[in-house]
Amino acid sequence: MKKGDKIVGLIIIILITISLLFLGIYRFINKGDKLIAKIIQDQEVIKVIDLDKVEEPKEWTIENEEGHHNTIRVEKGRIRFIEADCPDLVCVNSGWLSKPGDIAVCIPNKILIRIEGKDDEVDQISY
Amino acid sequence: MVFLILLVLTFSGCSKEKTSEVISETIYALGTVIDIQIYDENVDKAKKAIQESIERITEIENKMSVNKDISEVILINENAGENPVQVSEDTFYVLKKAKEYSKLSNGAFDLTIEPIVKLWGIGTEDARVPEKEEITSLLNLVNYEDLKLDESTNKVQLNKKGQAIDLGGIAKGYAGDEIKRILLENDINTAFINLGGNVVTLGTKVDGSSWRIGIQNPLGDRGNYIAVLEVVDKTVVTSGNYERYFIEDGKRYHHIINPKTGYPAEEGIISSTIVTDKSIDADALSTSVYVLGLEKGMELIESLDNVDAVIITEDKNVYITEGLKETFNIVDDSFILAN
Amino acid sequence: MTNTKRIVLLSLLVGIALIIYVIEAQIPVIFPGVKLGLANIISLFTLLVLGWKESLIVVILRTVMGSIFGGSISAFLFSIVGGLLSNIVMILLYKFFRNYLGLSSISICGAIFHNIGQLLVAAFIIQDLRIYIYLPILLISGVITGYFVGISVGFIYKYFKNFPWIKDIQKGQN
Repeated sequence: MKKGDKIVGLIIIILITISLLFLGIYRFINKGDKLIAKIIQDQEVIKVIDLDKVEEPKEWTIENEEGHHNTIRVEKGRIRFIEADCPDLVCVNSGWLSKPGDIAVCIPNKILIRIEGKDDEVDQISY
Repeated sequence: MVFLILLVLTFSGCSKEKTSEVISETIYALGTVIDIQIYDENVDKAKKAIQESIERITEIENKMSVNKDISEVILINENAGENPVQVSEDTFYVLKKAKEYSKLSNGAFDLTIEPIVKLWGIGTEDARVPEKEEITSLLNLVNYEDLKLDESTNKVQLNKKGQAIDLGGIAKGYAGDEIKRILLENDINTAFINLGGNVVTLGTKVDGSSWRIGIQNPLGDRGNYIAVLEVVDKTVVTSGNYERYFIEDGKRYHHIINPKTGYPAEEGIISSTIVTDKSIDADALSTSVYVLGLEKGMELIESLDNVDAVIITEDKNVYITEGLKETFNIVDDSFILAN
Repeated sequence: MTNTKRIVLLSLLVGIALIIYVIEAQIPVIFPGVKLGLANIISLFTLLVLGWKESLIVVILRTVMGSIFGGSISAFLFSIVGGLLSNIVMILLYKFFRNYLGLSSISICGAIFHNIGQLLVAAFIIQDLRIYIYLPILLISGVITGYFVGISVGFIYKYFKNFPWIKDIQKGQN
């Protein structure tokens, strides 16, 4: 080990600690008793699902303008990508999302699933 | 370091909230439940505003209801084809608006529909499907042109005997606007009012975000919404075939009567929602759009400034106007955004 | 003579980098964004043997050609930003701090910046900074893969630097 290696090591350890700290803060901010999954395509929320209220498991496929697709599955309390035609399959490998703050993305198809823990109910219903 | 800065930005989105109290009141008036909810630090001020609102609603009801012993509207109906009736500024304004929208919608909304509505009796115990002859004989009484409004004297008259008006829906819209005005005059800037499904909002929510208004699922239970609309300082009014109806011989008859046919409107729409500034406009327009059908309804809305609409058709397709593109989200995926 | 040798070696290295890159793309990722970064072995090796310009050429050619062989625009953007950022960091560290830093440290820094670059692109494409929750895992994985790459390059370099023609190239360079 050279002298500089120790400095690099120290900097990296500090970086990791800070990033973990931020992760903790992020989790804390997103805390809540709700499990609201938001599916966002091209920066637009296309679907909001209250995961606690899912009775039957359900799957559906989202297609984007270029014809690419991602298949999403919801079960009670959790949601995930189960299939996609993107090359890296990062979205599928993200596995189940079940906690507020969880995120899964498919960058090539620009789809993001996010779980929010805050009450996201409507204020009023127009009928 | 760039990403650290970005990280900090990510988490700095929360702001301090004011300590607002929630002051709410539920009133039964104008044949419906009226819910007022005020968010303000000053409880006394809010209570005073609510008190003034209740008085105003009672006043409006006394002038415009047809379910009282006496009201200005009942007087107009009783004097149809006979004498002009002197009415208050309030009633005159609402009648004028109603006539305006009757004209604008080319009779799809018609304030003189009352004789036919009464014949059907939808929403009452006597609801029934009338004979065809009964409808055709009453249909010639439905004509908004027969309502004469004299601006200079506030005198009102229906030309033919047997003609009648019912300001039900549009009076509800007017009451919503009046409550909003009273709250604003009392320096209340965060509140919502729900008049039997007509939503009126003041400003933004306490945290500065938009109000989230659910659109009732026309095929589901009350409280079940298919989409969420984010609004600031707007009113949202929905007309649907699920509000009042009866079923005879397996067929559903709802309360929105097409003034041209005398039968419940069946133009393929099951729910129409209007988003605009004034509830009185929204009420008349949501009925108009429902009766006009998708194509003509959309045409009407697009011809108006500052008015947006959400239309749901029988085949569960949802159509929205350009102005709602950013703020409208479907949450029930059995409904499909079609445009 | 050395010039031809350099070009031959460079082409060879680009070829190997490309092969590794394509094979690596087939290995399923264990965690979103975590890649072994084996192709980095070649860019670091090139940096040691041929110099920084050649190292950049390897990275750019590898990504461009790799993306032609199968990849989308966004995959290309990912690789090029991550690859260049990582490469530039390694070049700078090697140029100015090589006497104070071990190969592994240089390559760990490279790997970390590779991941940060990818995260930046991801945040840019998806327009959601919350994607930064991946940062800790990407930092840690950067340390592990970077260390592995550093050791590998150390071995390879130790073995190859005694090859006469590599010696020639290095002499010509200096």
